[in-house]
Amino acid sequence: MPNPENPINVLENLLKHPGRVVHELHQKQAPVLAGWLLIFGLIGVAIYGTVVGAQSGGAQMWIAPAKLGLGTLLAVLICLPSLYIFTCLGGIDAQLRSVCGALFAAVCLSSILLIGFAPVAWIFSQSTDSIAFMGALHLLFWVIGIRFGLRLIDATGRFLGARSRGHLRIWSLIFILVCFQMTTTLRPIIAPSKTFLPTEKKFFLAHWFETVNAPNQEKK
Amino acid sequence: MIEHFKTLLRGEVGTVSLEKPGWRWFGTYCLAIVVGSSVYGATIGLWRAPLQSVFTAMKFPLLIFLTCISNGAVNGMLAQLFGSGLSFKQTALAILMSFAIAAVILGALSPVTLFVLYNAPLLGSANAIVGHSMILLTHVFAIAFAGIMANRRLLDLLRRMTGRDATARAVLFSWLGGNLFLGAQLAWNLRPFIGSPGLTVQFLRDDPLRGNFYEAVWRAFQHLFF
Repeated sequence: MPNPENPINVLENLLKHPGRVVHELHQKQAPVLAGWLLIFGLIGVAIYGTVVGAQSGGAQMWIAPAKLGLGTLLAVLICLPSLYIFTCLGGIDAQLRSVCGALFAAVCLSSILLIGFAPVAWIFSQSTDSIAFMGALHLLFWVIGIRFGLRLIDATGRFLGARSRGHLRIWSLIFILVCFQMTTTLRPIIAPSKTFLPTEKKFFLAHWFETVNAPNQEKK
Repeated sequence: MIEHFKTLLRGEVGTVSLEKPGWRWFGTYCLAIVVGSSVYGATIGLWRAPLQSVFTAMKFPLLIFLTCISNGAVNGMLAQLFGSGLSFKQTALAILMSFAIAAVILGALSPVTLFVLYNAPLLGSANAIVGHSMILLTHVFAIAFAGIMANRRLLDLLRRMTGRDATARAVLFSWLGGNLFLGAQLAWNLRPFIGSPGLTVQFLRDDPLRGNFYEAVWRAFQHLFF
């Protein structure tokens, strides 16, 4: 069993034996474990954020990690109430702390994978000026990471005796859409900007198409 | 109360709660409808103006209660005609329960709809129509999902109460037909919910009882094809 008071042990178990973490999230020390998972998740995303910001350098080196950490936290807060209700709809008698723990574990697992991808992303970021290409690459890595994270939530659902997996799949789609939109809400994350937040509101598909069709932006 | 709602959402509510329908459950379901649908209603109206948000937060639960009260008698009769054995009080409680489930789901989805709203292009901007369409689609999906889940849970309960699938389905679809028929008209009378950018913010339109939903649909159909 992972010792919730030993953070390294928690991370190791999350990769090697995620089932043990899921089990531990239903024990007495679940709040401590969930807290660690959220903290590690946010730190991991912020570490990857420095690689994202390295494309433009300068102030973007702290703006990108701040925005990715803040965006992840907001997405978790926005989707947590619906995850709780959807787990109930799926026939699970879950406690709020278990649901929180599962979501934090998913975020933590995806952020660990992002850290794993960080060297690859950094090499590409130093080799290209294309914001669209780097945006697509970061998105691809994020999708791979969150795929494993959502698989952990699905496993938690099965562990807790879910009768139907459809509800959690619908929720996963909502979470992914919220995260996609968050990248547009907090833009620009890769390219530098005069303002911290955008002045114009857009939906993510419109923003992505504009970025793809825009001429290459200079690195600095 | 939270445990009872978790049981409701899981579709495991026992028939006991309907066999001895107490006022406590009426109060609980009404409270859930008021809280859930008000919070969600506020996110519907907020795109137009903060005042519209307050109005819609008041009108959404009002629409549900007016539909339940107006159809209460006929729903009770239909339940008895189809041989379900449900009393008027049990019928009212079962319908309130399904609306409470929908309201709880909508309440949980309101942070998501609020986030969509935050990202919608502002009124008066070049892309305002995109924002309006996106908000409309989000609400359609959220309300449809909540409605489907609530009716699935109601069907489960009716199956347990009546012991016969055919009877449960007949009762559910008769209730659905009546509630949708009246609900559409009441929503028309209580309009606006989202609010039109070209019109002033109002609790009700100047002529809320003039015309009806079905005439408006028929006129739109005529304009389109004739």
